[in-house]
Amino acid sequence: MAERVHMSGIGKRFGETVALAGVDFTAARGEIHGLLGENGAGKTTLMNVLSGLYRADRGQIAIDGVAAAISAPSDALRHGIGMVHQHVELIPTFSALENVLLGREGGRLWLRPERHREDIEALAARFGLALDLDVEVRRLAVGVQQKVEILRSLYRGVGILILDEPTTMLTPQEVDTLFGTLRAMADQGLTVVFITHKIREILANCDRVTVMRGGLQVATLARAEMDEGRLIELMIGERLQSSSPIAQASSGDVVLDVRDLAVQGERGRPVLADCTFRVGAGEVVGVAGVAGNGQRELADALAGALRPAGGRILLGGRDVTAASVRTRIAAGLVVIPEDRIADGLLPGLSVAENLVLGLHPFAFGGGLSFDRGRARALAREAIAEYAIRARSEDAMAVELSGGNIQKVLVARAMAQARAVGGRLLVATNPTRGLDVRATEFVRRRCLAFAEAGGGVLLFSEDLDELRQLCHRIVVMFRGAIVADFRRERFDPYAIGRLMAGAANPAAP
Amino acid sequence: MSLWLLVDPHLWQQTLVYAAPLIIAALGELIIERSGVLNIGIEGMMLVAAVTCFVVTWQTRSAAAGIVAGMGAAAILTLLLVYYAVALGGPQITVGLGLYVLGVGLSSLLFRVVFGVRTSPPSVQTLAPVPLPGLADLPVVGHVFFHQTLLTYLAFLLVPLVHLALFRTPWGLRLRATGENPRSVDALGISVERLRYGAAAVGGLLIGLGGAYLPIVLTGTFSDNMTAGRGWLALMLVIFGRWMPFTALGGALLFAYVEAFQFKAGIVEKAVPVQFLLMLPYLFALVVLVRIYRGARAPQALAVPYDREARG
Repeated sequence: MAERVHMSGIGKRFGETVALAGVDFTAARGEIHGLLGENGAGKTTLMNVLSGLYRADRGQIAIDGVAAAISAPSDALRHGIGMVHQHVELIPTFSALENVLLGREGGRLWLRPERHREDIEALAARFGLALDLDVEVRRLAVGVQQKVEILRSLYRGVGILILDEPTTMLTPQEVDTLFGTLRAMADQGLTVVFITHKIREILANCDRVTVMRGGLQVATLARAEMDEGRLIELMIGERLQSSSPIAQASSGDVVLDVRDLAVQGERGRPVLADCTFRVGAGEVVGVAGVAGNGQRELADALAGALRPAGGRILLGGRDVTAASVRTRIAAGLVVIPEDRIADGLLPGLSVAENLVLGLHPFAFGGGLSFDRGRARALAREAIAEYAIRARSEDAMAVELSGGNIQKVLVARAMAQARAVGGRLLVATNPTRGLDVRATEFVRRRCLAFAEAGGGVLLFSEDLDELRQLCHRIVVMFRGAIVADFRRERFDPYAIGRLMAGAANPAAP
Repeated sequence: MSLWLLVDPHLWQQTLVYAAPLIIAALGELIIERSGVLNIGIEGMMLVAAVTCFVVTWQTRSAAAGIVAGMGAAAILTLLLVYYAVALGGPQITVGLGLYVLGVGLSSLLFRVVFGVRTSPPSVQTLAPVPLPGLADLPVVGHVFFHQTLLTYLAFLLVPLVHLALFRTPWGLRLRATGENPRSVDALGISVERLRYGAAAVGGLLIGLGGAYLPIVLTGTFSDNMTAGRGWLALMLVIFGRWMPFTALGGALLFAYVEAFQFKAGIVEKAVPVQFLLMLPYLFALVVLVRIYRGARAPQALAVPYDREARG
């Protein structure tokens, strides 16, 4: 195999944090090369260095055996390196065609997009990228936006394409299509670098894999040498037991009964319509859906942050549709919000103060006084029980790492549940961005909540996570619940089709 | 009050005269904002342009020299803003407000340095209207549209020009892209800094032209604070026009009409207090903005400094 990319001894710091501590990486012509590691392992940073977005503090890069000085994205492009970032980097108000042309418009004075349409369409066909070039990008599904980004790189004639966690927001069907395209690219001699933390995707699609841990390259394996256990061990540095199987849901009371719930968005457009579903006691119900199909609004309406335009929410048989947040908490609602920093906590306050938020009307005997001593005692308990890594209970929340912030939120939710008798846990992407251990920890706590007789409503972009944890999965599309799957009927492709808007064949 | 006043051809003709500086300055601001930089100091920049234009015209007896000097003066200030915003990543609202205050003070100071304190202000010859041959003799329309100064014609010509530049050239595509998502533009190997400096230079020249218009077409002299909120109106016109040149022009005509009406009514209708009439354009602006601002979509990266290595 001809060596295409050779990076050696790459080092990069951000302030005090060492992101890359002398990493070696090679990729060959015509291969799909996986770059595997946990969040924070340095995968993205390494590839940002290769694509010129970050400037390395030290180390060398050679492309096709020739030393390359890459200090800006324009240098990388000159060497035929393109990158598709985790969050789509397109101009939302431009058409797909304009996005592809941007920066390589051709022609001096006037913009003539039509002249290049044929070339671009031919290129798209060659790599199996079917899309309509005239639609404004913001109206396209995430999977299609990603195709536009890939096409944009191909139009620049890149020979090395890096994709950063490209499957995160895709349905299983879209993932298959993506890998079809990547394989076509590799077959035509391109080098594809595929960043992920999902071992299954590596095993299914990559010719070789480089594993990173803690800013270091720990191994590079050929396809024949890969197996799941070995990759996990390399990735996290130890053997880990995988998640415990979930217990049978106790077929008892209904803790959450949502009927015909509707929410109006900006300009009176309905963002949630006729949402009807139930969560039973001891049951974990997953909500699957492509981001932006009303999941956030549903979670907010349940939490009391959004006022519904119609329908009813019954929590433990009690109508809380118009109830205040405090009433809901008192009725047993516990929330782990999606955006941990913006919605989850107050970054400038201490861990102790954050832990007592929401719990405060119940923790201090209903009085108006804030009992600092009691708050700190509760915080010390939580820090010990949840192994939160903080300087002390007085440390500011903003000092904690993402995983520890998430632990604070989980600890707070569970403390609330304990104080008022938790009936329903609403959690949105509770494990996003966490390492394997913290993920495992959060999942166990959610399952324990259900085992203790509460109901759990779990919103997640990760279909694998939902399939692993849930008794049932409901699918959201355009603000409505379009399907309800029981565990024995979980089929990622069937769920994926519904997420993408296909009619439910099983619907009455 | 006679309703005929509302459709008086002279009122319409004056509407165009007053709309011109608003639209020129608004186009300048629009170009800068499309690149993702918010220039909130536009009022001060117009003032500096006005005083520079007046002083240079006074000294050289050349209106052209004065106009060019005024444009240059404003462009220096917009480039200064972008230096702070782009090179230093500073807060654009704070720097912009600082430049506004600086402009107010600097313009009055410059005037006093050159002319001292006087009871009767010096004045220069304003530009004469240039009737367009053939067109100027048309009934009503000729008087309204084609008895204007060259600068006024230019103002209206600039609207389609800026529109074409923004939507039909590679430069415009890149400029708009920078205002929406600079990281994307950077990743394609296009310099965000260069685009923003370029937009600031072009926009600054236009804002300067709008400021220079005031002494050289409207008054023939300079007085403290003579922009009288026109910079703020231009800033608002960009929002009103939803960052589109032709819609901004519509807004400029609307406000200029109210402004011209206020002058006209002040002469014809003595019963209405002049202060009330003076208030009209701003009151109008307030009412319109409340309606318009809902659903307006600003460039996504407006007023956000771009840092390539920012994580997250």
